[in-house]
This record gives sequence, structure tokens and C-alpha cells, in this order.
Amino acid sequence: MTDPLHLDELLRARDGDAGCTAGVDMMDAYVELELAGEDPTRVYPGTAIHLQSCPGCRTDHDGLLEAARRFADIDPE
Amino acid sequence: MSADLWVEQLRSGHPRREQTVAKLHDALLRVARHELSRRRGQLGSIRGPEFDDLAQQAADDALVNVLGKLDEFQGLSRFTTWAYKFAVFEVSAKVARHAWRRQPPSRQEPALELLPDALAARPGDRLERQEQLEALRIAIGELTDRQREVFVAVALNDVPIDVLAMELGTNRNAIYKNLFDARRNLRAKMAAAGHPVLEDAA
Repeated sequence: MTDPLHLDELLRARDGDAGCTAGVDMMDAYVELELAGEDPTRVYPGTAIHLQSCPGCRTDHDGLLEAARRFADIDPE
Repeated sequence: MSADLWVEQLRSGHPRREQTVAKLHDALLRVARHELSRRRGQLGSIRGPEFDDLAQQAADDALVNVLGKLDEFQGLSRFTTWAYKFAVFEVSAKVARHAWRRQPPSRQEPALELLPDALAARPGDRLERQEQLEALRIAIGELTDRQREVFVAVALNDVPIDVLAMELGTNRNAIYKNLFDARRNLRAKMAAAGHPVLEDAA
């Protein structure tokens, strides 16, 4: 048997992929769910699928997740 | 609530607007610097004033976006997380532009003979792997020109999707659609050739 997981990653194209544009609006809500220990894939399944396949959106997501974790707890006062 | 306070104090006419805008800009700048550092691999030798200038530009542009879209904030996240999204997107776009100017991706024909390097075989898999790679090579050759160019660049050669979008004069979403269609076609062709690609559970 060859390495199906590796080739599957290379050719990953799942049904239900929401695409790049759909994730833009809710990416903040998506990472907040993650930080709260909830499962964003239940609320935003299409974006969850997309983030597995799109390197650009995944990089943005990872950056926002880290920024929110490190820097988001500030008040305007 | 903090989110309401941010929105309220950022509105025109609020007595604390100037201080609040300055505080938000400081936070956006912190995020932009951090995000630029995280993507340093795409920035080449950029450092010092040029790095700071890029961070300032990203924070400035993010601030303009946040102030222009205040009415679109729905409270589904902390206000700061929502605002930081714009900083991350600005950094993403600016890094791609910088990387593209520094080193545009090659427009040469894909080097399909490098496929075995891209897909490391496990010991003992060689014969089946060779047959599978040959089927993949043939399938890649049967893609449309655009699908082949995008698949080879993004999936095999790790060209950042936004850099390729700049090179081809389009946007990330359009490139991703090409990539998605290419992957779908390749799966179908591999299956038809007797080498179906199994989906993992992820």
C-alpha cells in the first residue's frame, strides 16, 4: 500500500468547502470558539473544511488565533 | 461590556475618540509586527526601518478598515479579535506583494520529474508508488493549463497562494477555485486509472 494520507493531503478537495470569501467574515468568531474550547467545526463546517485545504486562509487563521490569544484582552479605557 | 465601549468610543464625536483610536492603533501595530515576524520566511532580508514601515502601513490600513466598518461588528467575538482580523489580512496582502516583487514565481513548465521528492515513499512501497506517481504525472498533464500551473505552483512547489494570485493578476479565491478543481480532476483521473486516493478521516 502506498502512502494514502500524504497523497490525500496533496489532492484534498472535500465536499462542502466554503471557499476563501466565506471565511473572511466569520474568522474572528471562529477563533473565539477555538479559544473558548468549543468546536468551531460544528458551527462553521464549510470553513473548517476550507481551512484544511487552503494554505492562505490557514495562515491567516493561525495568525489571528495567535494574535487573539496573546493580545486581545485589552479594554478601551 | 468592553466590545460596546470600544465601538461607542470610536464613533465620531465621542469625547474619548482620539485616545481610543490611538490605543486601537497601538494594538493593531503590535499585532502587525507579530504577524510580520511570523511570516518572516517570505520577507527575505527585510529588517529594521523597512520592517517597521511595513508594520506601520498594515496597522494604518487596518485602522481605516476598522473605523469604516464599525457598523458591521456583530459582537460574535471580542472587539479586539474582530479588529485584529483586519491587521492580519493587511499583513497577509503586504507580505504577498513584497514576496512577489522580491521573487516572482517561475512561469516555467512544471518539473514533474520532481514528483517523487514531493511525495516521499515509505520503504517497501516503491513499485506501487512508482505506478501511482506515473498515473499522477499523466493526470497532471491532462489538466487545463491554468489548473496545472496552479496545482504545481501551490501544491507541489509551495508557492504562496497570494503570491501566485499577484503573478497571475487575480485573487486568492480564484486561485483556490483553480486548485480545488485541479485536485478534484486529479482524484477522478487517478481513480479511473486504478489508483484511487483514499480520504483520511480529518
